[in-house]
Amino acid sequence: MSLNIRLVVNGRRHTAKINPATSLLDFLRDTLGYKGVKICCNTGECGACTILFNGKPVNSCVVLAADAAGAEIVTVEGLAEGDRLHPVQQAFIDTGAVQCGYCTPGFIISVKALLDRTKNPTAEEIEEAVSGNICRCTGYTKIVDAIQIAAERLQARS
Amino acid sequence: MDYFEPKTIREAVSLLARYGEKAKVIAGGTDVLVDMKFKEEPSCLVNIKRIPALSYIREDDGFLRVGTLTPIREIETSSLVRQKLPLLWEAAHQFASLQIRNTATIGGNVCRASPSGEMLAPLLVLEASAVARFSRGEKKLPFGELFLGPGQTLLGSKGLLTEIEIALPPERSGSVYLKHAVRGAMDIAMVGVAVLLTPDAGGKKAKDVRIGLGAVAPTPIRAKSAEKALRGKAMARAVVEEAARRAAADAKPITDHRASAEYRRWIVEALTRKGLAQAWKAATGKEVDR
Repeated sequence: MSLNIRLVVNGRRHTAKINPATSLLDFLRDTLGYKGVKICCNTGECGACTILFNGKPVNSCVVLAADAAGAEIVTVEGLAEGDRLHPVQQAFIDTGAVQCGYCTPGFIISVKALLDRTKNPTAEEIEEAVSGNICRCTGYTKIVDAIQIAAERLQARS
Repeated sequence: MDYFEPKTIREAVSLLARYGEKAKVIAGGTDVLVDMKFKEEPSCLVNIKRIPALSYIREDDGFLRVGTLTPIREIETSSLVRQKLPLLWEAAHQFASLQIRNTATIGGNVCRASPSGEMLAPLLVLEASAVARFSRGEKKLPFGELFLGPGQTLLGSKGLLTEIEIALPPERSGSVYLKHAVRGAMDIAMVGVAVLLTPDAGGKKAKDVRIGLGAVAPTPIRAKSAEKALRGKAMARAVVEEAARRAAADAKPITDHRASAEYRRWIVEALTRKGLAQAWKAATGKEVDR
């Protein structure tokens, strides 16, 4: 059995025929080619596959692709404007918050969601925002630095 | 795999009647999708997410009603819940991660009937009811009877949970939900303890005490003998300590990869003691007497 769905990813419209058992993660990576969405635990625990679903961060590995019919999805590929990186991406680079980089797209999406809902996050809000994202390299300190810098830069810009 | 997106409760219930045990209901999907990937794909998947108007939180004449498709995050961010049911807020706040809270639904957490399900011990002490639709009509199932075992509820394969109905506790009551896990986020509770305590008018004695235990029996349970030890008693430290010991005896834990049965009993005792003291303080502003 197959299902036709329409959705918007990073501002672009897509129509596709899917197997209804497919996860949104597999659909985004394998059918649409958004490889910035990372597959890791595949059980909703590590946050590497985090995307924005109608503006909210979710683990795409535990969402049915069928549920994305009519939805607006943002992946890490949708943040930069041409060659200009999103302030959150630039802050991760500037602070060295990236080592192997595998968890980074998920972190960046969680942070984008945080800064969309709060301009001036507290230390507690920062911790909560990324507590569903696991990084095995950095020890998190540089990531928290990056989030603070990104928040400051975004505030200065607005 | 057959796949359906019913648009009405009636349509969903008739699909469940037709497919019975073969059908799997999916809402948020945070548990069901993991099973589909690593265990088995059901022969029929009934996705209830497209049924409109099943996501809501509303106050109604002494009750709070929460629609089955309400995401945990909506409960966490609801000022109504924060104000009227701090216990439910606390459980929602400690639930998995932000990403999962945005996806997982209260109905899914209830129907999953995991002994460690974060919302279950709190709903048990709130004496909530599950409003369910069967092909023959609606039934209201009290949480005290709802759970039959891990993954098993009175809903069976034919019932569809539509709403959680929670009577608002007395305003002067105090409550707390304590969870013991290795990591704050994304970790399943080794033990969860929910306490709801209503003092008498004088603020000296415990008029009504309800203690719910999670992850220490095949279903979430009430620590009945601990509750009995406190009811009508002045809240003194010795009484609280005795109740905590009884709660540990009320628990029926198993040993698994998360913790041993013995360790779980210790944690039940410690969290019950702490939970009673905190709930008493929340209700009366006072410490438990020495």
